[in-house]
Amino acid sequence: MSNVNTGELLDFQDYSPEHNRTARIDVEAVHTNQYNNSNTSYDYVEPKPVVEDDPPPKSGNHNFWTIEYYQKYFDVHTDEVVERIISSVLPQKVSRNYFDERIKGKPDLYGPIWVSVTLIFTIAVSGNIASYLQNANKAIHWKYDFHLMSYAATAISCYVWLVPLALWAALKWTITPDEDQIETQASASPTMMSLFCLYGYSLSIYIPVAILWTIQVSWLQWLLVLLGAFVSGAVLIFWLLPALKKSKYFFILVGCILALHFLLAAGFMLYFFHVPETEPEAVIVTTIKP
Amino acid sequence: MATFDSKYDMYPAGDVGVIEGEMNIPGQGVPSGDTMEFNTLDEPIKETFLRDLRAVGNKFYHVLIPREKTSLLKEWDLWGPLLLCTFMATILQGSSEPTSKTGDGGPEFAEVFVLVWIGAAIVTFNSKLLGGNMSFFQSVCVLGYCLFPIALALVICRVILFSTQNTFLFFLRFVISMVAFIWATFAATKFLGDSQPEGKKGLAVYPICLFYFILSWLVVSHTA
Repeated sequence: MSNVNTGELLDFQDYSPEHNRTARIDVEAVHTNQYNNSNTSYDYVEPKPVVEDDPPPKSGNHNFWTIEYYQKYFDVHTDEVVERIISSVLPQKVSRNYFDERIKGKPDLYGPIWVSVTLIFTIAVSGNIASYLQNANKAIHWKYDFHLMSYAATAISCYVWLVPLALWAALKWTITPDEDQIETQASASPTMMSLFCLYGYSLSIYIPVAILWTIQVSWLQWLLVLLGAFVSGAVLIFWLLPALKKSKYFFILVGCILALHFLLAAGFMLYFFHVPETEPEAVIVTTIKP
Repeated sequence: MATFDSKYDMYPAGDVGVIEGEMNIPGQGVPSGDTMEFNTLDEPIKETFLRDLRAVGNKFYHVLIPREKTSLLKEWDLWGPLLLCTFMATILQGSSEPTSKTGDGGPEFAEVFVLVWIGAAIVTFNSKLLGGNMSFFQSVCVLGYCLFPIALALVICRVILFSTQNTFLFFLRFVISMVAFIWATFAATKFLGDSQPEGKKGLAVYPICLFYFILSWLVVSHTA
């Protein structure tokens, strides 16, 4: 699935709308039947699979504004998504060059979008549970805060979109061109879409972490911050290592990636889950600079 | 561009031509094919209302007992979703105080309203992007009608809230909302599940679950 047969695509690039395609194929089939009898068995069989699985060859020349253009980023199956989520937490479960083979070849947007949406709602819900638990043994009447959701949404969507963009730009312009050209083009700078994909999936570990953050034990919360940031940051570095090594600013980039990941986790924990012990109104804003 | 020009070339400037034709408009706005048989212009307005209400009520019934798979899909309308959404937003809205000290921290009317519609639209787009073969408004219609169990749970929770609250009553409200959540998800999956290709059903169902879960969460947390 990852390598779409390019021959198939090239065949149909002239006829853009979907309806024409089948019609043209039929005409071709008829023509080959009539005039090319010696090759009938080959030529007649060949177009058929193209007609049958129509969804795969849709990555042709669709307009940017049509829904078909984006369908190629959603062409994943349930087990693939599960596998990618696992690969973002436990990279040893999948093959060594999973990123290069699978994610780079066929980045999807389903995972990033729904992982971040899930994370937003998980943080909003468990943030409310946390504040309920904080006020459980106090006299005041607890009220839920719907607007936690908008803060979480802002922070996460900024992180998921801006950081990969910045990383993509950094990788694009700092990669040293001393390697031979073909090698660099093939494996070095990952595409923007695959970075979005990688970053979106890397947030998935925070979903269980956010549920566990409701336990109001301070050292446990910090432990979870460190654990979550370290595991998913390390996996991120692990997948990006071949590309990062080619950059001039290897250590700066790695440091930035890890620091931003840690900042995100710490910011979530402090803002949504942590009860400040001395002063009640300690406002810690989660500003994430790309 | 070429066709556009040639179309104008066909009509010389001086000759406007005679515009004539039948004024029969094929009934697009009429929801069902049967109603085209008789003329609805001279019927009492009560009958028109009742017919539409009956169609909406019929759909609610199908959501409560999700047996027949296609009844909601054949003729979509957005009246039911609009009613449910407005009703839920009215009940769920918190006080408009911006400070969390005095307000109840709940969402405002517009926030619930937008959450429902944008949420349904996003879930629909998701299933379209996954390759589902279903029109946009059909899916929005089904998602909207399947809010019905959650709206029922909201009514029950609202009644429970009139008495003095304790842990048991909170637990009761929680259970009721969860049942409504499962019910709504089950109904929506039943109606929408077949439109997805094999192997992608899980991916299409998950956002639906999330959508109804958030709304049920709003129902549970509504305490004002």
